[in-house]
Amino acid sequence: MTGGVASPAGGGRHRRAPEHFRRGLLTHALILAAALALFGVDRTLGWAATVLTIVFLLFFFRHLAFAVSAARWAERDLDAPLIGVESFTPSIAVLIACKDEELVVDGMVAAMLGLDYPADRLTVVVVDDASTDGTGAKLDAWHAANPRLRVLHRPAGAGGGKSGALNDALAMVDAEIAVIFDADHQPEASVLRRLVRHFRDPKVGAVMGRCVVRNGVESNLASTIFIDYLSGYLVNEYGRQALFELPAYGGANCAVRTGLIRGLGGWNPHTVTEDTDLTLRLLLDGYRVRYDASAVDFEEAVLSISRFWRQRYRWARGHQKCLRDYWRPVLRTPYLSPMEKLETILFLWVYHVPVLCGLGLVLIALRAAGIGGSSAVEVISLSALLFAGPFTELAVGLVLGRVSRKAVWMLAGFIPAFGMSILTATKAYVDGMWGTTYSWSKTARSGATSAPVQAPPPVMAEAA
Amino acid sequence: MTLVARRLDHALQQRSRRRLVPTGTARRRRLVGIEMALAVAGCVGGYLLFIDWARHFEVRICEQIVLALGVDRVSAALGDSFIVFGPGFEPVVAEMTGSCSILSSVLALAALAVIVLRERPQVVVGFAVATLFVLAANQLRLLLSLLAGRYFAVDALIFFHDWIGAVINFAYTLIGLLIMIGMTMYDAQRAEQDHTGRHTADRPEAWARPGLGHRVPLAADDAPQDAKVQVAAFLHRKILPRALSVRLARRRERTRVDYRVGHEKAARRAAIVRDLAGKGLGVHTATLLAVATHETDTGVLDALADAVAARQWEPIANADVIALRLWARAWLMRAPRETGPAPTGRLIAVTGAGGPAGVAVIRSLQAAGDEVLALDANPDAVGLRLAGRAAVLPRADEPGYAQSLLAVLAEHRPAALVCTVAEEYQALAPLTGRLDGIGVRTWLPDPASAETCLDKVAFATALHAAGVPHPATAWTADTAGLVPGPWVVKPARGRGSRDVILVDEPADLPHAFFTVPGAIVQTRLEGREFTADALVARDGALLACVPRWRDETRGGISVRGTTFESSEVTATVAATLRAVGHSGPANVQGFVHPSGAVTIVEVNPRFSGGLPLTLAAGADVVGTYVAGILDPAADLPPLSYRPGVRMARYFSEVYYTADAAPVADPMLAGVAR
Repeated sequence: MTGGVASPAGGGRHRRAPEHFRRGLLTHALILAAALALFGVDRTLGWAATVLTIVFLLFFFRHLAFAVSAARWAERDLDAPLIGVESFTPSIAVLIACKDEELVVDGMVAAMLGLDYPADRLTVVVVDDASTDGTGAKLDAWHAANPRLRVLHRPAGAGGGKSGALNDALAMVDAEIAVIFDADHQPEASVLRRLVRHFRDPKVGAVMGRCVVRNGVESNLASTIFIDYLSGYLVNEYGRQALFELPAYGGANCAVRTGLIRGLGGWNPHTVTEDTDLTLRLLLDGYRVRYDASAVDFEEAVLSISRFWRQRYRWARGHQKCLRDYWRPVLRTPYLSPMEKLETILFLWVYHVPVLCGLGLVLIALRAAGIGGSSAVEVISLSALLFAGPFTELAVGLVLGRVSRKAVWMLAGFIPAFGMSILTATKAYVDGMWGTTYSWSKTARSGATSAPVQAPPPVMAEAA
Repeated sequence: MTLVARRLDHALQQRSRRRLVPTGTARRRRLVGIEMALAVAGCVGGYLLFIDWARHFEVRICEQIVLALGVDRVSAALGDSFIVFGPGFEPVVAEMTGSCSILSSVLALAALAVIVLRERPQVVVGFAVATLFVLAANQLRLLLSLLAGRYFAVDALIFFHDWIGAVINFAYTLIGLLIMIGMTMYDAQRAEQDHTGRHTADRPEAWARPGLGHRVPLAADDAPQDAKVQVAAFLHRKILPRALSVRLARRRERTRVDYRVGHEKAARRAAIVRDLAGKGLGVHTATLLAVATHETDTGVLDALADAVAARQWEPIANADVIALRLWARAWLMRAPRETGPAPTGRLIAVTGAGGPAGVAVIRSLQAAGDEVLALDANPDAVGLRLAGRAAVLPRADEPGYAQSLLAVLAEHRPAALVCTVAEEYQALAPLTGRLDGIGVRTWLPDPASAETCLDKVAFATALHAAGVPHPATAWTADTAGLVPGPWVVKPARGRGSRDVILVDEPADLPHAFFTVPGAIVQTRLEGREFTADALVARDGALLACVPRWRDETRGGISVRGTTFESSEVTATVAATLRAVGHSGPANVQGFVHPSGAVTIVEVNPRFSGGLPLTLAAGADVVGTYVAGILDPAADLPPLSYRPGVRMARYFSEVYYTADAAPVADPMLAGVAR
């Protein structure tokens, strides 16, 4: 029941994508030049503004629809009773990839050992991916004290980044479901039972839980990201499931059938956002991803602007690559209805929208300088998209999260964040199209809020 | 297949194929789409309908402000315009266009309030304040625009319109949106997490919504403080009529989860749940639903399901009550339970729940379908885990016993109290009137008779006077030497085999006598030791006498025994109980000499630890005794039994955590390890 294998006819196997899209970039430039030459500057820019307006309004109403659906239904979902979680316990392998994580590894392992699941149905595998700090020794000490924690040491240069580490861990286990966490994560004890309950439906290939930031107290940026996550998970992800049954599988706090992931050739080492990549591959093979807002784990947010920039750049770069890789298969797949195809394309397009916002701002600036047609319409639609849509999502996230009123002032911090997202997405777009080499960049941790909550870390044994 | 069945099948197939009925997801999408379309229509329609009115209204306000400030060279409002004379007296008509009005902002805020935030009533105030802010900000903008035109240049007046005006308009609309969001959010008292994501509401872990705040200890400064001005409290205490305030409070209570319950221990939670449900399922519905949703303790869930099942007469107050009843139905149907006895509906309290007699009585009552309230001084007494209800009391010889007992019994209102500890009779006897007053019936032996049984000196004297065979007994050092040996030295008041010394040499006797506190000396009897479980009616008739050989004892408790029949034993037991004047349950211990002579050693005026054998042999002394308690005038039947029934005892266990939550028995079939 829980061990489906991807169909050979499916389009979900990961593929090697072209290294660059310079030709596409050139084509865009040529079309613009031709339009300017044929129709003149004002008409061309006027048409461009009209197209942008339509796109902005489409995305605004998409965000608004998610906010409305979450406001209407999510509150009760968070409190809803669980059904049959004691009687449905497929075997689970929890897989965690760690690279230089000594600041957070103790809290993570303690949380893993505190998970509520039958011990004979649960394996925990932590991969030490050639760490150069004390991560490996700490993991060995934990293993000595708790043999049911398995540790895999990968040699330096094993390659593949997080995907490679997860694929190696997957080879070690024989469980029906793999549940993935990151090294800085500390799930609530009930998370496994809440995640796997959805696998009763054989059509479900993966289940995503909800990530919550736990170190908001460390900086204003972390607190802002905490609020961003509330809206991202309680509103956006929730709305995608409620209205389209198309939530995204994330990189951590998520479960996937091991039979499926093996059939799909494992996690894709050629992408920096293996989660979005896997979402697409599952959908293209006729499986569904489910989202459980009550399966919660706590993680660290980045603390500095430069790290925030790097993280968001990676997300934008990987997500944009997924659009380039998968838009054609998505339009062709027989497993999605036209409405679902539209939503999937919009979802893949999300990290291109800030690029278009930047373009809209350029058009407005040109208009202010007297170049181009009337831009009144796009000011309204752009401001609706940039502010009203996200602020409405944030408002619903804050209310659903029952956050105290003081947090409303943190919303002001989102205005520069929107500006920054325009820059990161635009840079990622240009770099991605040009084919600039880019590989996985590890997110640095703080570890200040990762004290083990279940048990103290074991004393380091000399033998270890 | 008949024609009717075929047509029915066809109709059902047609129905399932029909595309007119959308899937749940498509239906949700449609609902949200309709809401958004209505919001857009509301905004556009509202703008078209009210824009002229709004422009005039705003111009009038601006006119009043200009007049109040005494600004010259600005005309009175001319419809929706002013005439402004600049520094060089050049006139210009400053017209209030649609884009200068706040109407579009207000309509957008209203649309968001209605379709997104309407679940929170606070949004109404938020919207009103945001609207006032937007109105004030726009008036400021209009005023500055007029002043700029008046004092600087006509161009400056225009500067506040056009695209810069649009940006200003956008800025204050955004601030208005933030005000509305802020006022719709939870205040620090009612929020569950602060702006950094720390849990602040002290919800019990099992009951909290998942992920509402990271649980870390909060510094005193970070904990939510009481609001300085408590508007709601002021409103209810000072403004609203009391009747309305109470009515609103009741309504609030229906939807408010009392999280304090989740912090209590399991037994207390069960009691609270019974109390809350007892007030009516529509009163604390949210709390009861929260118990049904989050509770994992089977005892608490049983209590809730029973309480819901007991109130099926109640008119259904709301949809949540139906949810509760559905849950209770599923819970009570959840697994094929062992076919137990039909419940009698009676609650019987049993004291001494930790002793073997108490445990035997509890199990016997439960087997008969009674519910049991177990009482003991030891919080770890095993009977407390076996019974459906339990309470810990002080020891009978401690102050506060009577008060605690009365309080517990008044709370649970059992129909009868069965006492399995003879030492409690003295404390219970004065309470019988008050127990009767709260509907708890008892059947205690005459205090003098019980005292005779407990005091071995008085007992020896009574038996001697009645001519019942009893070993030679001395209780003074002077007379101890007169008792023929070998001897047994034991305390005059004692239970089980505590402080009992067997003496064979005369030289050891004085030492043993002074070692044992309050000692008596008896001749040690030869022969086979027996215990007879007996039940004496209130009129003194012996209803049951079930003798058994004490084949093996441990710590004074019979662990191996065999029932037997002997008319001499029965006659001697009857004579003994007559001699002490006892009524109710008793166990009589003695010896049968190889010659057949029966000698009685002692009587315990209560049920014995070996009671299960008596019950197994067919004499339901517990049931008969309880019947006699509940109906003092009942004509209780004499009980027969089967001789030759053997009993071999073994250990059994119950498991529980420090907070009294039960832990599954690993030896039970079907329990996952």
